[in-house]
Amino acid sequence: MIDHVNGVVVGVFVFLFLLVTVLGFAAARWRRGEHLESLDEWGLGGRGFGTFIAWFLIGGDIYTAYTFIAVPATLYAGSVVGFFAVPYTIVVYPLIFLFLPRLWSVSHRHGYVTPADFVQGRYDSRALALAVALTGILATMPYIALQLVGMQVVLQVMGIGTGSDNWFMQDLPLFIAFVVLAAYTYSSGLRAPALIAFVKDTLIYVVILVAVFYIPHQIGGWGHVFSAASDSFSAANAQGAVPPKGTQPTGAEWAYASLALGSALALFMYPHSVTGVLSTRNRSVIRRNAALLPAYSFLLGLLALLGFVAIAAGVKVENPQQAVPQLFEDQFSPWFAGVAFAAIVIGALVPAAIMSIAAANLWTRNVYKAFVNRDATPAEEAKQSKVASLLVKFGALVFVLALSKEFAINLQLLGGVWILQTLPAIVVGLYTRWLHRWALFAGWAAGMAWGTWLAYGVASPTQAHFGGPLVNFPGTETKFYIALLAFGLNALVTVVLTVVLRALGVDEGEDQTTAQDYHADLGDAGVDAELAAESRVHA
Amino acid sequence: MSSRGRWVLIGLLLTPAVVLPLWVSLYDRAEPTLFGFPFFYWFQLLLIVVSVALTVPAFLLSQDADRRDRVAHGLPAEPSGEDRP
Repeated sequence: MIDHVNGVVVGVFVFLFLLVTVLGFAAARWRRGEHLESLDEWGLGGRGFGTFIAWFLIGGDIYTAYTFIAVPATLYAGSVVGFFAVPYTIVVYPLIFLFLPRLWSVSHRHGYVTPADFVQGRYDSRALALAVALTGILATMPYIALQLVGMQVVLQVMGIGTGSDNWFMQDLPLFIAFVVLAAYTYSSGLRAPALIAFVKDTLIYVVILVAVFYIPHQIGGWGHVFSAASDSFSAANAQGAVPPKGTQPTGAEWAYASLALGSALALFMYPHSVTGVLSTRNRSVIRRNAALLPAYSFLLGLLALLGFVAIAAGVKVENPQQAVPQLFEDQFSPWFAGVAFAAIVIGALVPAAIMSIAAANLWTRNVYKAFVNRDATPAEEAKQSKVASLLVKFGALVFVLALSKEFAINLQLLGGVWILQTLPAIVVGLYTRWLHRWALFAGWAAGMAWGTWLAYGVASPTQAHFGGPLVNFPGTETKFYIALLAFGLNALVTVVLTVVLRALGVDEGEDQTTAQDYHADLGDAGVDAELAAESRVHA
Repeated sequence: MSSRGRWVLIGLLLTPAVVLPLWVSLYDRAEPTLFGFPFFYWFQLLLIVVSVALTVPAFLLSQDADRRDRVAHGLPAEPSGEDRP
């Protein structure tokens, strides 16, 4: 509705958006290294980010705009299982603490840019590395698309673009935002999201802190918020809501726990998380961040509860994803609503940039260099990645514009199922070489196939397939996260086949890494502060 | 204490941060409430603080364990790279 557009809201929003655009392009000059045209520079920001920058960058990776829209939306809709995002973001940090420093060390020693590079070096299997790379690209695309969905929701609530019946005019604002994002990612690489992440998080922190203290105070306190949500759900249940609504996950404890664990295990298999981690300057940065990043989890928990706050404040929207933006528009003065909307949209740009860079790196290193041009120079690699990052982003844009949003959300759910299947090759590989490369490949294939099949069979009120992340645990009536079930099969196949293949004496390939590589730190042989492309132990 | 002993201790420190959030039936209840928050919600927010409180000593232990592991693998105890925060 065009008459809903508020000039102040849009003005503040546009101003902040222009600010980060300038920052994005200026980032190309920020902390610039000597060797400009290489993936270490463009794709990993020179591998020199300290604790402070890494905190913002990795925070931008994990807590995306979509999280800020979708998690409160599930609570608003009365499905408290969505609050699993909180235990998920608690469980993930001990895992990061334990295994990612090892990945950092071995990757720096050998100049690995992607998780698939590590798999290639460790297992000497181009097939396995390709499987890991393609899984990563496949799982990342819908994740980028979801960031766009988050942006779209905010633009809708602001009333931008919705006044026109022409599809092109409707989507034009989203299109402009994305062209800008694509342009500065192309020119500045990982430095752009790293610099913009400062703005993003400052805005998000201010908005959320104001939102969780000011709004509940305005409408009668948190006690009232919870009782209002509870009353609203009881009323809905009395009218026969399916599934029943509530403020506790009673009866779905296993669903809740398995979603938290499965998501935590999957998170650091995502290429963009690995990109964030590998861009840090030494091992300690990662561990320090494992203790510092939970500050965001606290924020996420409070933010999720804004779903209940929206109910208590009388927000009524058809699409639950609009609940929080609508709450901001109703409760904040126009200029602060503009700040809040800008925070969410910028919060989508940062992860979208990192994800497209990560997917582009996978393409360049593990498809282009491994299969197309084996003698690619670092400059050719950087060029290839830049172009690939554009293609990945426009692929995601087409996705959002051409297909239904439900489809994007469900592919994201499948992404979690898929990416978790790369865990045995990556994480177990950091500790032991015992698992056989062909067993890992077979386990991956089994997990992918069964996970996709299970997800295909889930129906929801709105669609016949890919309707949700949960199925009954085999032989029981207990709902469980598909990704963990598929992972269980994957692990079983991998272990059994490893025993068989080892007994048969099948060639296990040559391991490029040594035990020492997993402990190397900044300053050790092969781990320079600014990696020159020629100085690696292995290219 | 040996490097292995330190890693075991780190594991013990970090275990509650993984197990407690996943033990949903432990906290799936409304009472007692705190500042209007049902137990289910404030307990999980509290767990965030607990996990940080456990990760900090684990981090300090890991610094030392890393030095020992480095020596065991033929590297100098202290990496020569500058560690700026």
